[in-house]
Amino acid sequence: MMEYLALGGGQSLTEKLQILTDAAKYDVACTSSGVERKGNGRDMGNSIAAGICHSFSSDGRCISLLKILLTNECIYDCRYCQNRCSNDLPRATFTPEEVCTLTMEFYRRNYIEGLFLSSGILRDPTFTMELLYRTLWLLRNRYRFRGYVHVKAIPGAEPELIRRTGFLADRMSVNLELPTAAGLKALAPNKHRKSILTPMRQIQSGILANRNELALYRSAPHFVSGGQSTQVIVGATPESDWQILNVAESLYQKFDLKRVFYSAFVNVTGDKALPALPGGPPLLREHRLYQADWLLRFYGFRASELLDEERPYFNVLLDPKEDWAVRHLECFPVEVNRAPLEQLLRVPGIGVKSARRIVAARRSAALGFHDLKKIGVVLKRAVYFITCSGRLMYPVKLEEDAIVRGLTDGKDRVQFGSDGMTYRQLSLFDDGSFSRPVSALERQAGALGEL
Amino acid sequence: MLIYLCEDSLEGVFSGIYKAFEEKRDKNDTALALQEEPLLFAEYQSVEPDADRTRRVMNTLLRRFGEEDALSLCLALSSEDPGKAQAVYGTVADGLRRNCRPGHLFDNLAESTVHKAFSLARAAGRELHHLQGFVRFEELEQKVLYGVIGPKHNLVTFLMPHFADRLPMEHFLLYDAVRDICGVHPAGAAWYLQKGSGERFALPGAGGTLRLSEEEKQYQTLFRHFCQAIAIRERYCPELQKKMLPLRYREYMTEWKKQS
Ligand code: SF4
Repeated sequence: MMEYLALGGGQSLTEKLQILTDAAKYDVACTSSGVERKGNGRDMGNSIAAGICHSFSSDGRCISLLKILLTNECIYDCRYCQNRCSNDLPRATFTPEEVCTLTMEFYRRNYIEGLFLSSGILRDPTFTMELLYRTLWLLRNRYRFRGYVHVKAIPGAEPELIRRTGFLADRMSVNLELPTAAGLKALAPNKHRKSILTPMRQIQSGILANRNELALYRSAPHFVSGGQSTQVIVGATPESDWQILNVAESLYQKFDLKRVFYSAFVNVTGDKALPALPGGPPLLREHRLYQADWLLRFYGFRASELLDEERPYFNVLLDPKEDWAVRHLECFPVEVNRAPLEQLLRVPGIGVKSARRIVAARRSAALGFHDLKKIGVVLKRAVYFITCSGRLMYPVKLEEDAIVRGLTDGKDRVQFGSDGMTYRQLSLFDDGSFSRPVSALERQAGALGEL
Repeated sequence: MLIYLCEDSLEGVFSGIYKAFEEKRDKNDTALALQEEPLLFAEYQSVEPDADRTRRVMNTLLRRFGEEDALSLCLALSSEDPGKAQAVYGTVADGLRRNCRPGHLFDNLAESTVHKAFSLARAAGRELHHLQGFVRFEELEQKVLYGVIGPKHNLVTFLMPHFADRLPMEHFLLYDAVRDICGVHPAGAAWYLQKGSGERFALPGAGGTLRLSEEEKQYQTLFRHFCQAIAIRERYCPELQKKMLPLRYREYMTEWKKQS
C-alpha cells in the first residue's frame, strides 16, 4: 500500500483530476436517485430520492456526481478502452485523501451530489478493490460524508471486500460491457462473462439479505440501498437491439438490477477489431434502447412485444411505443374515461404521470380533450389512439400509413412516402445501419422517460 | 362578492384563507386578491398577516391534504402570478368541500382553479428542483459559504431547509439578488431570513465588501476543468445542454463565470 501511495509524484491535483475525469467519462451512469437519507444535524451530506442534477456538460449529459477513476493504470487490455495497458497515454493515480478532499470541497460548494468512484485494475482485482474500499472507508468514517456514493465492484476481487464496500456505498455496479459472452471474448480478452456475473449475483443476494435484516432491526447498516446497475456498450460488437433488450430484461428479472445503462460506442482507440463509425456514435440506437428500457420498467411492456427475431432492430422513425401501437391498431382507440391504467399506459403521448392523473381526474367528471391537455397528455401523438366519451378529437383514419405520417415530423416525412413507399416496406430497412440524428428535444424527452 | 385583500406572502394569503373560513364564506361569493382592482359590485376587506393564524391554517392543510399537497400549495404561493392567492384559496375550498383524502387535493385537474394552483406549484417546483442543483456556493474568508440566486419564484425559504439539512455545520448565506432577501445559516443553529440587506451581502464586483477565501479560486478552477473533461466530444450537443440548463441560471454558476 505504501509504495502505491508514493506513486503519484510530480503531478498537480488539477492534472490528476483532468486525466482521471477524462478516463471515467465513458461510464454513462451519473444519477444520484433512489436513496432518501436525511442529514443527521452533524455530518455533511444527505441524499434525495429524486436525484439532483448539478450541471450539464457540453454533450448535454447531467453532472450529478464527481465521476472519476481512482487510477487509470490498468493491467488489462480491453480493446474498446482508452485506459488499456497497450495504449500510450498519461497515467495518474489519486490518493484516497485526495478523492475525499475533492468530494467534500465540491459537495460544500454544491457542485455535486456525491462521488462515483471507478478504477482501472492496478496490480490485481483484489488490490484494486481494497483501494476502493479504503477510500470509501475514509470518506465515510474519517471525513464523515453522508452524501451519495456509487462505486464499482471489480470482477474477480475477494468477495469479502466487495461485501464490506457495499456497506459504505449507496449504489454498486459491475459493467457487463458487451451484451454477449462472444462479444466480451472478442474485445476484452482478460474479462469473462462468469467473473462479471458472480459479483452481480453476490450484490443481489447481499441486498436481499440486508432487506430482511432491516425488517428485523431497523438500525442495521444499509447495504447498497440505492440498488445495483450496469452498463452495456452499444455498437462495438454486432449484437442486435433485440439481443441487447433481451439481455436487459433478464438482468432486471434475474438480477433485480435497478438500472441498465446503454452507452453508444465511441471508438477512442482506433483498434482494427472495432467498427470505425464514420457517422459518429450510434446515438439513435442508444436512444431507442433507453426508450424501450422505460417501457420495460414502467409501462408494463415485455421485450418480446417490442422486438423479435424477425424484426431485431428498432424503428428509425417511430419510438418503440408508437411502433407497437401502429402494429396493434386492433387495440385502439382506447376510451380515456374508462380504460384501466395498463391500457392508458400503452397509448403514445400518455406518460406514467399523465396516466395516473387521468385515473384520478375522471373520478370527478368525464374528461374531454381539453382536460387531457391540461393533464399533460401530448395530444399531437395521442389523438390517433384515444376517444373521450366515445368521440375522436377529429376524424382520423385508423390506418397505418396515415398515422405514421402524422406521427413523424416534417423532416422524416420526406423520406417516407415520397415514392409511394409504405410504412411496412420502409420498416424492412431498419437493420441497424440505417440511422438519423437524434434531436436535442428527443434526447431530453428520452432522458425523462416521456413516451 | 367579498374580496379579501392580502399581503403578498405566505402569511398574508394564509391569514386571508383563515378569515374566509372563520366567517364561513361561500366560496362562490368570495375571493382573495393581492391588489385592489376596479371591479364592480366587489367589496374589499384588508387582512393583516398573522403568524398564529398562518400556523393554524398550515396545520389544517397538513392534516387534511398531506405533506406533499400542502407543500404544493406553499410552492404555488412562491409564484409572481397575481392570481395565485385566489387559485390557492379556491383549491383549498374545493378540497375541503369534497372531503378529499390526503394526497388527492389536485385530482380534480379539469377544474380550472385547481389546475391553476397545480400549474403554479409545478412551475415553482421545477425551479426549486433546478436550484437545488444549480446553486453555487463560494467560500468567503472565515470559511463562510455564500451563494447568489436570481430565480423567477420566491424560493429562498424552500432552499434553506434543503441546504441546512445537508450542510448543518457550515455557516452559509443564500442571497436572492432579485428580491433582496438573504437566508442566513449559522453553523449548528437555526436559519433565518433577512430582508433588504442589499450590498451587505455582495462581493466587491457587485458593490459589496465580502471577500473570497484563499483556497476558493483553486476549487473553482478544479471544477471548471472537471466539467470540461467529463464531456464526450463525439456527443457534443449544446442545444441539449441549453434545454437542460437554461441560460438564465448560468450567470450565477461557477462553471459559467469568466475566470477573474
Ligand atoms: S479493465 Fe478494461 S475497461 Fe477497465 S480500465 Fe482496464 S482496460 Fe479499461
